[in-house]
Amino acid sequence: MDLTPRTSPDNAPLAPRKHNHKWKYVAMLVVVVSAGGFIVSQFLTSAIDFYCNVDEIGKREGCEPNRRLRVQGTVEQDSLKSDSGSTTFVLIFNNQTVDVRYNGDPGGIFQECIPVVAHGQLVGDTFEANRIEVKHSNTYSEANPDRLTQSKAEQCSLLAG
Amino acid sequence: MSSETQSFKGVGTPTTRMYGLMAVVALGWVFLGGLFFTPEDAVQGDAVRIMYVHVPTAWVAYLAFIVTGIASACWLIGKKHSMGFDRVAGASAEVGVLFMAMTLLSGSLWGRITWGTFWVWDPRLTTTAFLFVTYLGYLAVRGLGGTAEQRARRSSVIALLAVLEIPLVHFSVVLWRSLHQRATVLSPDGDIKMDGLMLFTLLFGVFGFTVLFAWLVSHRQRIMAMQDAQQITALDAAVTERLKEVQE
Repeated sequence: MDLTPRTSPDNAPLAPRKHNHKWKYVAMLVVVVSAGGFIVSQFLTSAIDFYCNVDEIGKREGCEPNRRLRVQGTVEQDSLKSDSGSTTFVLIFNNQTVDVRYNGDPGGIFQECIPVVAHGQLVGDTFEANRIEVKHSNTYSEANPDRLTQSKAEQCSLLAG
Repeated sequence: MSSETQSFKGVGTPTTRMYGLMAVVALGWVFLGGLFFTPEDAVQGDAVRIMYVHVPTAWVAYLAFIVTGIASACWLIGKKHSMGFDRVAGASAEVGVLFMAMTLLSGSLWGRITWGTFWVWDPRLTTTAFLFVTYLGYLAVRGLGGTAEQRARRSSVIALLAVLEIPLVHFSVVLWRSLHQRATVLSPDGDIKMDGLMLFTLLFGVFGFTVLFAWLVSHRQRIMAMQDAQQITALDAAVTERLKEVQE
């Protein structure tokens, strides 16, 4: 039995042709595959080795001091200074330190005794950072000024490795 | 009004209405508790309140994709190849993509406040983005056309492969160096470092969003069933019409 769509004498469809959505999904699939490829390339080039720890600079492959690095460590207590638009601090990890200078105020929850990832390059003995990302821990506790002051030094030394 | 018309009045049942009510109550508490009753975090301040949406939506997205995987496996393995499994798989994937988008959006806002940036290509964020894109691809494949069985077969194979990404996303913060913090509630050492009321609100959020997921999937798969039935009815009517013409 013939179930093909009916047409009028001048060969035009009697009923409005149902819009074909297939091409919409094909286009969506092309976008998805392209996005997937881009994400995989980002994973391979950036995500696998997201940062070097302070003590790995010049010691681990990919952490050579003459290249652009992402360095992870804790902002050492009493090292944070802001002067004429730039912020300087000492980054510590596993008892190894590096001086960091950042042009501007990192903002957000940046503070002493907090782990951060600094993006930049070593110039002499100072790490010149142009981006600071704060790494917050998986601990969530009620804000309590007394308890915070009491435990800050202890927490700082723990985070410093 | 005929009984046939009445049956298309809606897709709600006493069970879905119960899901809806439970979701409203639970999410009402999450809204009030998250915004007004839970304390500020010692380090993050008020930004921690984003967690009450971010974590539950991520959990529900994982759950949705696992349900899609299980329903797809049931369709493939089952001798009858019941289309009900395929509809549950599709509905769950749609809701999962919605919740994953909410996770990415809320996480991005949380990241801007705490990390100082909306997005970084770190292992957790990159693998989550890939998971999201994979399920968008799954939905695109479902829409490519063909018979219902063809749609079910190709999408179930993709669902079974895609679900394998979930452990990779969850353990990405352990496997690689990530800016994203490690798990708090599901931490490997079992020590949950979270204030009591914060934890209660978070778990209530997980419950509320899970019930909301169940409500959404129940309705969506019933709508899909009605759409399938409508197509079959339309085809049956066309065949009957042609048969009548042949007989005349």
